[in-house]
Amino acid sequence: MEETLLKIREVRKRFGGVYAVNGVNLDVKKGGICGLVGPNGSGKTTLFNTILGLHKPDQGTIHFNNNCINNLAPHQIYKLGLGNAFQIPRLFFQMSVLDNMLVAVRGHQGDKLANSLFLREKWQEQEKGMVEEALSILELVELDKLAFSPAGELSGGQRKLLEVARGLMAGSSLLLLDEPAAGINPVLGKSIFQKLRDLSRNGTTFFVVEHRLEILFEFASWIYVMDKGKTVAQGEPQQIVKEPAFYEAYLGEG
Amino acid sequence: MDPLLYVFDVVVYVGIFGMLALSLNLEFGFTGLANFGKVAFFLIGAYTYGLLSQIGIPFYVCLIAGASISAAFGFLISLPALRLRADYLAIVVLTFGEILRLIVKNEDWIAGGDWGISVSRAISLAGASPRVNALVNIGLVYLCLGICFFVLQLLANSPYGRTMRAIREDEIAAEALGKDRAKYKAQVFMLGSAVAGVAGGLYAQYLQCVLPGMFMPMVTFTVWMMVLLGGPANNKGVLLGAVLVEIFDRGANIAKDYLTLPVDPANLQYILFGVLIILVLFYRPQGLLKESPVTTKALELVRNDRSAVKSNGKQ
Amino acid sequence: MTINWAQVLFNSVVTGSFYLIGAVGITLTYGLSNFPNFAHAELITSGAFIGYMVAEQLGLGIPVALVISFLCTGIVGLLCYRCIFQPLAKKGATIIHLMVASIALGFILRHSIGAVWSWEPLYFTSTWRAFTVGPLRVTWLWLGLIFAALSLATAMHFVLVKTKIGKAIRATSSNPELALASGINIDKVIWVTWFIGAGLAGIAGIFRGADTQIWPMTGWDAILPIFAVAVLGGIGNFYGAIAAAFIIGLAENIGVVGLTILGLSTTYRIGIAFLILIITLIVRPQGLAMLFRRT
Repeated sequence: MEETLLKIREVRKRFGGVYAVNGVNLDVKKGGICGLVGPNGSGKTTLFNTILGLHKPDQGTIHFNNNCINNLAPHQIYKLGLGNAFQIPRLFFQMSVLDNMLVAVRGHQGDKLANSLFLREKWQEQEKGMVEEALSILELVELDKLAFSPAGELSGGQRKLLEVARGLMAGSSLLLLDEPAAGINPVLGKSIFQKLRDLSRNGTTFFVVEHRLEILFEFASWIYVMDKGKTVAQGEPQQIVKEPAFYEAYLGEG
Repeated sequence: MDPLLYVFDVVVYVGIFGMLALSLNLEFGFTGLANFGKVAFFLIGAYTYGLLSQIGIPFYVCLIAGASISAAFGFLISLPALRLRADYLAIVVLTFGEILRLIVKNEDWIAGGDWGISVSRAISLAGASPRVNALVNIGLVYLCLGICFFVLQLLANSPYGRTMRAIREDEIAAEALGKDRAKYKAQVFMLGSAVAGVAGGLYAQYLQCVLPGMFMPMVTFTVWMMVLLGGPANNKGVLLGAVLVEIFDRGANIAKDYLTLPVDPANLQYILFGVLIILVLFYRPQGLLKESPVTTKALELVRNDRSAVKSNGKQ
Repeated sequence: MTINWAQVLFNSVVTGSFYLIGAVGITLTYGLSNFPNFAHAELITSGAFIGYMVAEQLGLGIPVALVISFLCTGIVGLLCYRCIFQPLAKKGATIIHLMVASIALGFILRHSIGAVWSWEPLYFTSTWRAFTVGPLRVTWLWLGLIFAALSLATAMHFVLVKTKIGKAIRATSSNPELALASGINIDKVIWVTWFIGAGLAGIAGIFRGADTQIWPMTGWDAILPIFAVAVLGGIGNFYGAIAAAFIIGLAENIGVVGLTILGLSTTYRIGIAFLILIITLIVRPQGLAMLFRRT
């Protein structure tokens, strides 16, 4: 039996009097790309933020790698191996592209106050490898030439690419990507997904929200459909297009 | 007054306020923490030094004690506001400074209330001239300044410094990338307060007294001026800022003795200060020197490789 | 020692009334423009001095002083926003930059006032006849202050609920983008708020000055509890501010009794507001806001 990496049961999240997420159940199996689709306002991004710990769920449970992560702070969840790329890039705009990548590193020795002062030799060795890794990922998204430019000088599409690249940086076992191909040209979008598929063979799992269904369905192995805060359908890409709930969700949008 | 002693005096002030500027730069420039109560930690350092030196404790122990107590207060006072927005911390710390000054002013038993207490110099050579003693003090102050500068530069050019900047830029994103922002902010605030505490101790022994009037909110504001003018997130820049602001301050003080103005010069000086700050915010919010990027060995290697490739390509 | 609790309660209402009038401006502008205007202290001081000039130096009496002080301080506040804060915000200044600018502006105003008038305390010459009502010692000034706070609360409630501009203020405060999309002229709303808020600070300044003394630090001496009111009430929340003003007024006056019993200086009364501020931030940083859904 395949191992379940992320298990969500009956999760609800309310803002004011409105449920943005209203009863989500889903399992993300280890390996491959799992897609999450649904019309605008169906609660996908809220669900992601709830998984990340940026919102506390009002009800329900979220398990990651058999750990209950409901009440953990975002940085604790990240350290467990759950990474993320935001839908609207949240970069550190005055820092260089490369520094943006390096912030994402897990377990950097020099990231502790005492080590940064006293164990300089040790983490400086460690950092060389990280810089190499960061540059190879940046090459993939064609940003390696800009490694030392401030992130604030990137164009909108490049910012999006850097956000995704930063997510790939840390070697997460599960990576949540919120519309990685939005706002960048289709050829590059497709090559990002090819890279995701390559990485997933090495053990990383991806849980992806994407509006460009033609790309997503080509690469994803399993699809969940959300509508009005609920998960309404699931299945393989070829099956899901035949599901009435899938059409209802999108046609209901008006 | 001996003109040389006056110059020495300016040099000491630049050193002490330079330390305050470095500590605010750590908090505001690198980490984005709005410490509007810098003077509170300066005061704690000064009073700790004054009280401990009175009972005959050696000066370096007094300085370290001042730094530790200041750091402890910094930790406690920042605790409630660290998870909240920058403005809450600003209000809390500002208020804390005012209350602290009220306490030392009202409670005569702590350190003489309004009149303060006298403090002896850290190092005074018997029979030496005032000039020599002033030079010794310069040596002490600049030794401390040098150590602070060195440590803060190490910190700024490390993964820790990278995380500080990330928290300043977008603390939610930093948190989502595994950075415990409350922990980092608390550490930075403690370290900043400790540096301010040392500066306070040096100030007390240099002026040979502590009294509440030395710790008005204006001190905090002067330090902000130094950081904003010199260049936030650039340690060399804020030292430059400290020099410029101190010269401006002294210049205005000297000028007012020679000029007859329709306005009371004391008021005018504060007004000019305010105007200058607003002008800086309008026209040069990044300060005179730009933010210095994180520099580590690994980054330097890549940078050098690239410039080598570039220059080869040109040939 | 016997404590006249009726007097303590009455004093709390007086203190609370002052804080309410002083805090309305800060909480509303804080909510709309998203930064605490530390120069609000100097707006209070300006009001006190303008009131002094009108009432004493020109001899026109307190009622005229209230009106003129409201208008003049209001204009000063509006100018501060139009000429400094708004252009700075447009240039992309952060909340910290705006706070620093407001402190700098406070210094400019405070020392300009010191230069124009003086740093020696000034006093209103009109004395306020004290009389007793049952166990209470009361002056007309205090009654006037309470009346002013009550009228303010009623008027603001009416403005916020019934008038177009009031609804616009509430809408803009809770969701600026939505307000903009629904055709509200946000700039106008913010200007009106800064004008009214600053004007009320001026009125608070006159009452404070008439009750104690007038000097360039009059406003600064009162600003910390006023910030505590804004935070406890929930920033931008007028109804929360009413409750918070009287809670802090009460706590301070009870605290003064306590300090006297302990033999400590009553100048520590601002410490009480500070404690409330800290506790609010720990327990309920959003303030009392959600208890008052209206705004």
